Amino acid sequence: MKNQNLPHPFPDISSKVDIFDEFFDSGMEETISPFLTKRSRSWGKYLPLKSASIAAFLLLCSFFFKESAPLFLLFTYFFAGIPALIASLEDIFNFEINIDVLMTLAAFLSVLIGSGREGALLLVLFAFSGAMDEAVRKKAKGSLFAIKKMAPMRAYVIGDEGILTERSVKDIKVGTHIFVKAGEIIPLDGVVIAGASSVNLAHLTGENAPLFKKEGDEVVSGARNLEGALTIKVTKSSSDSTISQIIKLIMQAQAAKPRLEKFLDKVGGKYAVSIIVIAFFIAIFFPYFFSLSYLGTQGSIYRALSFLIAASPCALVIAVPIAYLSAVSICAKKGILIKGGVVLDALATCKTVALDKTGTLTKGDLNLVEIQSLNGGDANLGLALAYSLERNVIHPIAKAISNYALEKKSPLLEFTQFKSHPGYGLEATFKNKKVYIGNKDFIFSKMSRPLELQNEDLPFTLLLFGEELFIFRFKDEARPNVRKVLKNLKQKWQMRILMLTGDHSKSAAMIAKEMGIEEVYADLRPEDKLKMVDDLAKKENLAMVGDGINDAPSLARATVGISMGKKGSRTAVDASDIVLLQDNIELLEWLFKKGHDTRKIVYQNLFFALLAIIAATIPAILGIIPLWSAVLVHEGGTIIVGLNALRLLGKK
Amino acid sequence: MHKHFNEKDAASHVLEKRMEGLKEVHGTELPGHFSSATDTLRETAFVLLIISLFVSKLSYIFIIGIGWMLWRMGRSAYLGWSRLERLHKLIEQEKFEIEHHRPQEREELIALYRGKGFHGKLLEEVVDVLMADEDRLLKVMLEEELGLTLEAYEHPLKQAAGAFVGALIALIIFSLGFAINYLVGGLISSLLTIGFGAFLTAKYERNKVISSVVWNISFAILGAGFIFFLIRIING
Repeated sequence: MKNQNLPHPFPDISSKVDIFDEFFDSGMEETISPFLTKRSRSWGKYLPLKSASIAAFLLLCSFFFKESAPLFLLFTYFFAGIPALIASLEDIFNFEINIDVLMTLAAFLSVLIGSGREGALLLVLFAFSGAMDEAVRKKAKGSLFAIKKMAPMRAYVIGDEGILTERSVKDIKVGTHIFVKAGEIIPLDGVVIAGASSVNLAHLTGENAPLFKKEGDEVVSGARNLEGALTIKVTKSSSDSTISQIIKLIMQAQAAKPRLEKFLDKVGGKYAVSIIVIAFFIAIFFPYFFSLSYLGTQGSIYRALSFLIAASPCALVIAVPIAYLSAVSICAKKGILIKGGVVLDALATCKTVALDKTGTLTKGDLNLVEIQSLNGGDANLGLALAYSLERNVIHPIAKAISNYALEKKSPLLEFTQFKSHPGYGLEATFKNKKVYIGNKDFIFSKMSRPLELQNEDLPFTLLLFGEELFIFRFKDEARPNVRKVLKNLKQKWQMRILMLTGDHSKSAAMIAKEMGIEEVYADLRPEDKLKMVDDLAKKENLAMVGDGINDAPSLARATVGISMGKKGSRTAVDASDIVLLQDNIELLEWLFKKGHDTRKIVYQNLFFALLAIIAATIPAILGIIPLWSAVLVHEGGTIIVGLNALRLLGKK
Repeated sequence: MHKHFNEKDAASHVLEKRMEGLKEVHGTELPGHFSSATDTLRETAFVLLIISLFVSKLSYIFIIGIGWMLWRMGRSAYLGWSRLERLHKLIEQEKFEIEHHRPQEREELIALYRGKGFHGKLLEEVVDVLMADEDRLLKVMLEEELGLTLEAYEHPLKQAAGAFVGALIALIIFSLGFAINYLVGGLISSLLTIGFGAFLTAKYERNKVISSVVWNISFAILGAGFIFFLIRIING
């Protein structure tokens, strides 16, 4: 017989270590436990929803099969009641009386007065409410762990004999020489002692043009090394590195952010305590004030329990999650991920929107906008030469040249003697003439008489073909339709719009003008951005929109952090409350409207639900209507608020 | 002797932790749902056999059997969940130790790999490689220090489903036997079910089938016989 379960004596490590990331990311979710076999993990998916559905079905059966009703109710209490009972007992143990405790108490005590079915109904509604809450909340879990994992954990240390050894960054001391290959993230801050390369700091500083680094230049952790290999002498330990400082800022920001609370959570505790105290009062003192007995269906205990059941806010418990779930679902359909319904509540309170520039207001990719011959050469030939040289290179500038050339249907040329100078550029021979493409230093070193170049506002690269010199200028273009959205937010919603960027002021002013933003703050380091957001958020609620690692602390601190899902770094996505999955920033206005709608409907539901409770409890205390009628009024209210909440599914 | 090792040396600490981890193996290498099914099959058959000594109505036997099935399912799932909870606590603790007690984890690794025959520079290199990646280190410590196996356990609900299948098969076979002949039919069907459960387990574990089947049936006869005859003796 085939024995699949016996562990292999030499199991493949790489396939198993990934599961830790996912597991800890999720906040140790049982469904992705690394101890469970892959095939059996799905058994635990949507468990609260499954058990609530089973309980609902069994409760329904209890209505149709009257004789077997106790049996069906027993199972209903098991599936819907036991999880609620455990949670409530734990709350009581922690000296916390809340709506959950009230609901559970009412449901279980209802059995004592022979109203098990009414209690079961409360439990089923409560179970559905919990399942919906969990569905909405799930995405928000475990972001701290993901943030901690954003920096490279390992580095190649160059040993005494020049042998590379992989080490944890935590074990690498200042002064150690490390080796960073092309395409890797620089793991620790240091100084380049050998090699040359371009490094991309876009997600750290906002500058999206690669920077050239050679011997003696400083490099920071978190930057991506593009094409050349670098040997770096470590100048800061892992705990002091740039990336660690940003992680610390994110942690501080998350700690400083006031916890978003649902209205129900805020008042729930007081409400639950009041109802329980009143129920006790009715049970113990009513016989003294009114000529009532303690026992019997007209007795004070029966009335107290009726009051407890009728005052259980199941309309609220069910209607509020329906409202949030509906809003979150419709947002998801539009490509917006909301980490918890309460975020929409908070969004409705925001009066200011702060936006990052690179990758948020702009596309975050360089585009070739101009080719200029500096000494009368043919620009089309320049493009063909540049395209033929750069088409297989993975570099933002090379990518921009290739995209432009493809658009212009530029021809491909055949070269001989192709050579790469990592960090500097490329060279080849075309029709017995040398062609060079690369940075200013590289090209000027190949020229007999270098030209004078004016200060360039835009990132550029040079191409030299014989004596012909071409300059290629690049620009990060603004996203379309954003100007109109920002204008609407300002005019229709009276919101204050500002730009916070790590980019230099000239480039920031250019995009701000294009976008119609008047308040611009440029040259901001991550800590400066965080301070500004913190100051602003203390005065009035603020939404921050960003995409880079440098935005992550501000996204974490803002009342609501909104990140770009496609262009954004994982850190920004994790630190934010809302993710625009398709970078669809043009939906900002729609999103704010949805936030306001959700809030409005939640308040309407609160009103209807309280009305239903009052309509049910007062007659129940007075003994005017029997318990089942009270529950009927109660549940009628629940249906109304549930339907009202479903209105949020509308796409407008 | 570091406080982290509870005043023991690194090697003793590793041994202690490994014994802690070994509790997870439960003496079986069967998949959880299969183990649960074959165990419940045998237990249900035995319980029904005992009950049939006192209850002669098939419908009652059947109802009791379903009640027993629910208990076994719940118990099986709960055992799975409590094991999972304990394993999650262990992994969380080990992760914390890797993040906060790196020198001690290094000592533990040295002790572990010295025990495997690594020495000198090679030992240093092995430890360096393992220490370089925290995820890999966590996996190595879970398996080497705590003796745990990843991706080896079935979901608690799958185990409960196994218990359900086991109990249902036993209940059906026993009821058929009981319906054919109240005492002898019940006895034979019960023993056959127990033997079948033992056969499946032995086959899966590659143990001796005959020995396993005979021992399991003997345990059942011994238990049931003891109850039957002692009651007769007490009642005179």
